[in-house]
Amino acid sequence: MSTYVYGIIRAAHSPLGQDTDGIGDPPRPVRVLTRGELAAIVSDAPEELRPKRRDLLAHQRVLDEAAAGGVVLPMRFGSTSPDDDTVIRVLAERAEDFLERLRALDGKAEYNIKANHDEEAVLGLIMAGHDEIRSMAKANREAGGGTQEQKIRLGEMISAAVQAREATDAELLRQALEPMAEEVSAGPPSTGWLANLSFLVDRSSAELFLTRVREFRQEHPHLELRINGPLPPYSFVDTPSQQGEGGTSEAFGAAAAQPNG
Amino acid sequence: MTMATQQGGGGGSSGLYDVLELVLDRGLVIDAFVRVSLVGIEILKIDIRVVVASVDTYLRFAEACNRLDLEAGPRKPAGLTELTGQLTESGARGKTKGALSGAAETISSAFQQAREEGREHQGDRRRGE
Repeated sequence: MSTYVYGIIRAAHSPLGQDTDGIGDPPRPVRVLTRGELAAIVSDAPEELRPKRRDLLAHQRVLDEAAAGGVVLPMRFGSTSPDDDTVIRVLAERAEDFLERLRALDGKAEYNIKANHDEEAVLGLIMAGHDEIRSMAKANREAGGGTQEQKIRLGEMISAAVQAREATDAELLRQALEPMAEEVSAGPPSTGWLANLSFLVDRSSAELFLTRVREFRQEHPHLELRINGPLPPYSFVDTPSQQGEGGTSEAFGAAAAQPNG
Repeated sequence: MTMATQQGGGGGSSGLYDVLELVLDRGLVIDAFVRVSLVGIEILKIDIRVVVASVDTYLRFAEACNRLDLEAGPRKPAGLTELTGQLTESGARGKTKGALSGAAETISSAFQQAREEGREHQGDRRRGE
């Protein structure tokens, strides 16, 4: 029976709720494996594990609950160990790394912010700010909409202006909120957002951070912001040298060779 | 506005769509553990790249631009205050319309479909079937 791993906590972490449901159907009960100062939140792994929505939800819910009781290192979804003993061995072998990260993340939470343009508002801004686009749009309209080619040319110019604006706005957002955060991590690109940023925020300054977000919203009404948090620090479990696409597991091994990260 | 402040258990699924990619793409990876295959997710990402750079997007921009011009006129960005009002009312699902949000809509409905499948008979994440 293989073991599904949700996250790593301190052994002294507050106990999880009695009825914490894990992944699977029926949900596998969550349990804790302890080794020295560390513990892993685990459950039995279902026979067939796929990224199903209910399981993603369960993974997130278990970690949310754990994070409410203390600092947690969230595992990426789908991490499965051959058995409990392997989990315990990993806790022993990587104890220094895990403890260092737990210390670094203690009392902090991740806030993820995704930003998009409100289309009409941003088009309004672009029309107001680009004479060339405005006059071309006028010419097209007067010609009853213009030819297909003219429309495409106009659309292409607008598209370029929108993209430039996306880059500017993403940077604005980052600059506005970075001072309130301990760390910033850009989320995976190409998911349909102009900015997808995660901020590591000390819980004591969370209110300040959220206030700044509200102010930013008012200052930039052409931006739609979606904020989620406090979350387990998914984007901050790696030390800086380990961040980057793909190479996380190798990097993890490399970092283990460094005495104090 | 999505201002999810889930703490402890019992947090609803609101905003979960927004954090799915963190659960899937971030978090600790340990080489001694096996990771589940995420083939379906990769396909969703490729789709989005195609949507954003298409001629179709240009045409939609051009049309949206024409519409905008007819309604408000180029000199006054008066429509903005009105839009602010709309913004504060947009719910957790957000507004999905027009060329800019097209990609988000695609992925959103895919997840929506997956959610429904998951709820009823634990179907796999699929799209376009």
